[in-house]
Amino acid sequence: MYIKQVAVIGAGTMGADIAYVMANAGIPVIVKDVDESALTRAQAHIADLFQARVARGRISAADAQGRRDLITMTTADAALVEATLAIEAVSEDMRVKKRVFQDLDRILPPLSLIVSNTSALSISELASVTGRPQRVAGFHFFFPAHLMKLVEVISGQKTSADTIETLRRLAEEIRKIPVSVKECPGFVVNRVLMASMAEILAFQQETQVPYSEIDQAVVKSGIAPMGPFMLADALGLDVALEVNRTLFQAYGDRFRPAPQLEALVEKGHLGLKTKQGFYSY
Amino acid sequence: MDANVEQQLILRFSLATFLESVRLYEEGIASVEDIDIAMRAGAGLPQGPFQWADTRGLDVVLQDLEQLAKTLGPRFSPPQSLQDLVARGWVGKASGQGYLSHS
Repeated sequence: MYIKQVAVIGAGTMGADIAYVMANAGIPVIVKDVDESALTRAQAHIADLFQARVARGRISAADAQGRRDLITMTTADAALVEATLAIEAVSEDMRVKKRVFQDLDRILPPLSLIVSNTSALSISELASVTGRPQRVAGFHFFFPAHLMKLVEVISGQKTSADTIETLRRLAEEIRKIPVSVKECPGFVVNRVLMASMAEILAFQQETQVPYSEIDQAVVKSGIAPMGPFMLADALGLDVALEVNRTLFQAYGDRFRPAPQLEALVEKGHLGLKTKQGFYSY
Repeated sequence: MDANVEQQLILRFSLATFLESVRLYEEGIASVEDIDIAMRAGAGLPQGPFQWADTRGLDVVLQDLEQLAKTLGPRFSPPQSLQDLVARGWVGKASGQGYLSHS
């Protein structure tokens, strides 16, 4: 199937980045949000991203304008009636997402695809509220989506091979790297990252080696671009703990949340965004 | 940090990364190739976990895991696919075949 027009539902940073990536590849995009001010912020964010490319001499100002013109902002469902693909990027709340999926199923043409950018929730459960579970999948971008190359293309229980093929092709068209993943808590990247984080936290607890020394050793050894504690602080410790708990529930002991992480979150030390986490900022 | 302790840290980090990747593969969640791509493109690792293990040598990785399973517990137990590959002599880069093909 050929994706002629994309709808992005939810104009947060992730939604805005995704819209930018689509438009930058020449694909018309409609960004829909119920909140007018979120759309205004998204528009400014996208303008900044294009401006940065122009400033670096990557594209001309006229090209940037042409690509920006491919993006339409709307609060109206009616604007979505011709979308061949809808990417849901609203908050990570199953009830909210289900309502969005039900709406999209009603509004979109019957052959159009509906995908979620969720990093944690069940694709099959989302698919179950639609009449087209074979055309529902996960399409998981990584933050920040305008820079990170990977897209996890996630199949639920009923996702068809055609749907996955279309999404893989689209990912390549927008200059991303697709990997095919079967649905499971954490998918691939977050599951593996959290497993190594859990091990490092266990190591830290046993040895009491300071966080900064561990990060330095990891970076020096060349096995990862950033130390795990700095990465967790950047991601947000509340987000990390949430993922950690989901994985603990699904896979058991090796993901038991570490006391150091729980203590920090309890104190409201959530990392970079609160200026205190494993590090002080 | 004492050099020995530092070596343990790096090994535990690498093995935990590798072990979770093997679980994903054994559960049929994703292919070996796609997991390596995902960890490079999505987490910025310079080398995918299977590439790492094949380069270290799967026989060496097996010994590492047996050792750590004794001291730290069953979360380091060697996975079935690793035991099978080593038993077959497919120990990675050195033999031309491991989780990945190196011909």
